[in-house]
Amino acid sequence: MPENINEFYQNLPDTIAVWKKADPPSFYTPANLSTYIDGGAELFISYNFKNALSMKYTDSADNEIVVDIFDMGSAPDAFGVFAHSRETIDDRFGQGSEYAAGLLTFWKDRYYVSILAYPETAEKREVVFKLGQAIAGGIKSEGALPPIIALLPAENLLPETVRYFHHDIWLNSFYFVSNENVLNIGNDTPTALGKYRQDGATFFLLLVRYPDAARAEAAGRQFRQKLLDGAADGMRPTKEGRWTGLQCRDDLVSVVFNAPDAPTVRALFAKIQK
Amino acid sequence: MKPRKSISRRQFIKSASAAAIGTTLLRSGQETAVPVKIGKSRVVLVRDLNVLDENGNPQYAVVEEMLDSGIKALTGMPDPQSAWKTIIKPDDIVGIKNNRWPYLRTTAEVENSIKKRTIEVGVKEANISVDDLGVLQNPVFQKATALINARPMRSHHWSGVGSLIKNYIMFIPEPDSIHPDSCADLASIWDLPVVKGKTRLNVLVMFTPQFHSFGPHSFNPKYVWKYFGLMLGFDPVAVDATGLRIIEAIRREYFAEERPLNPPAKHIAIADSKYHLGTADPQKIELVKIGYDKESFV
Repeated sequence: MPENINEFYQNLPDTIAVWKKADPPSFYTPANLSTYIDGGAELFISYNFKNALSMKYTDSADNEIVVDIFDMGSAPDAFGVFAHSRETIDDRFGQGSEYAAGLLTFWKDRYYVSILAYPETAEKREVVFKLGQAIAGGIKSEGALPPIIALLPAENLLPETVRYFHHDIWLNSFYFVSNENVLNIGNDTPTALGKYRQDGATFFLLLVRYPDAARAEAAGRQFRQKLLDGAADGMRPTKEGRWTGLQCRDDLVSVVFNAPDAPTVRALFAKIQK
Repeated sequence: MKPRKSISRRQFIKSASAAAIGTTLLRSGQETAVPVKIGKSRVVLVRDLNVLDENGNPQYAVVEEMLDSGIKALTGMPDPQSAWKTIIKPDDIVGIKNNRWPYLRTTAEVENSIKKRTIEVGVKEANISVDDLGVLQNPVFQKATALINARPMRSHHWSGVGSLIKNYIMFIPEPDSIHPDSCADLASIWDLPVVKGKTRLNVLVMFTPQFHSFGPHSFNPKYVWKYFGLMLGFDPVAVDATGLRIIEAIRREYFAEERPLNPPAKHIAIADSKYHLGTADPQKIELVKIGYDKESFV
């Protein structure tokens, strides 16, 4: 694996088909990423972004293919930022990838990679895929998924919906929970979210791991007070007739949203491995 | 709702009051305007299937017609020239705040249509400027007596959506300072002297709104929707709130399920409830629709 993000530029081929590597690349840190990613830098910073390299390939007509490689500092954060907007399961590149209309993204070890070729053509898509293979091949090691992901029960889980984060702003992925940080999610509370489908019903499981049981209990208490009308058993139907359930167990808080009934909530809680 | 000094806001309130007492509203030295339903913010949605060519590029003549139709409906005036005279004076210094995001711009067609009508009012061309990132350094914007706020609607990784309220973020020296809590306090910018009371018109470009963010640059052609629309209003919160309803409905249609924006675009509701910049309540918005009306989602 490259020790330094600069090595990607040196190691990538100078030409692919009619596309030539433009010079020089650009480098970004948390302090200046917003000068490159207009309006999206905060997403990366919320996943502890370290630095990034951006380089281009151009053809004779000055069309561009843009390669961005983000060093997220850890495999869990590289997975997290990749999975943030994932819609499908595709393992052709790295440890998980997605291609849509000229844009390839994938993650491998601590790197999140984007190769962008708008507007899409068949010829550019082929070059994008070759670049993807070259970059993924240059990262020799694989990284571990965030451990909390493994606690999401696999039965009825839609794998493309698995999300990982440690910033409260992503609490409302898939299902609106609150405009407030009702579970005190922060950089030291790894969080997993997944969507489940069972007998036509769609519901969600959120898992938050706290540094200790006291913080987990405090977060659970706050959630019960603010969103469950203080329900002592942590279960409450919504006005739409769906069920929200909360469980605190040691340092882990689990919340089920939008379940069709209380038994579904309890059954899902029972499947969570400690 | 607390009245503010912005001309757009004042005009809205005067319009509502005039309608309430059944009189004709006159602004000093300008044309007649504007019956608006009592206590409501008027939002005009204009749609035309011909606004995009086969490559998805805006057609100038159609854009101009849409803008003209919109401003007439917004002001109640019979022609675009008299409509523009209700909001711009010949001695105004006019900043047209656009958005230059490379994947989805305000578009030159919208900017030039606005500029043309502004010049027809009698404003000197030297007293008009179109700018985004450089507004604080731009001499015209520094002296501006009138602002026209024009930008496209898109989903946004940090604020839910980027639309009219957010478009003034470049009027603060450190835009990052407004980022905490997913840009909840964007409307506070509208109270700063550099913009306060100057906004005469808001134009939300909905030709191809982006309804979902994907990838590091937040953009993918897969997630833009050909909507063929343009929205106008004096109340930026009302226009944004209406645009947000459309984006949410497009997401529902595309994903075939409830898929809330992540994060929620709460700054729009907060612009109403905390900053009283306008109304986000659909019950307090008079929506006027012109042109193509299939799949309008509102």
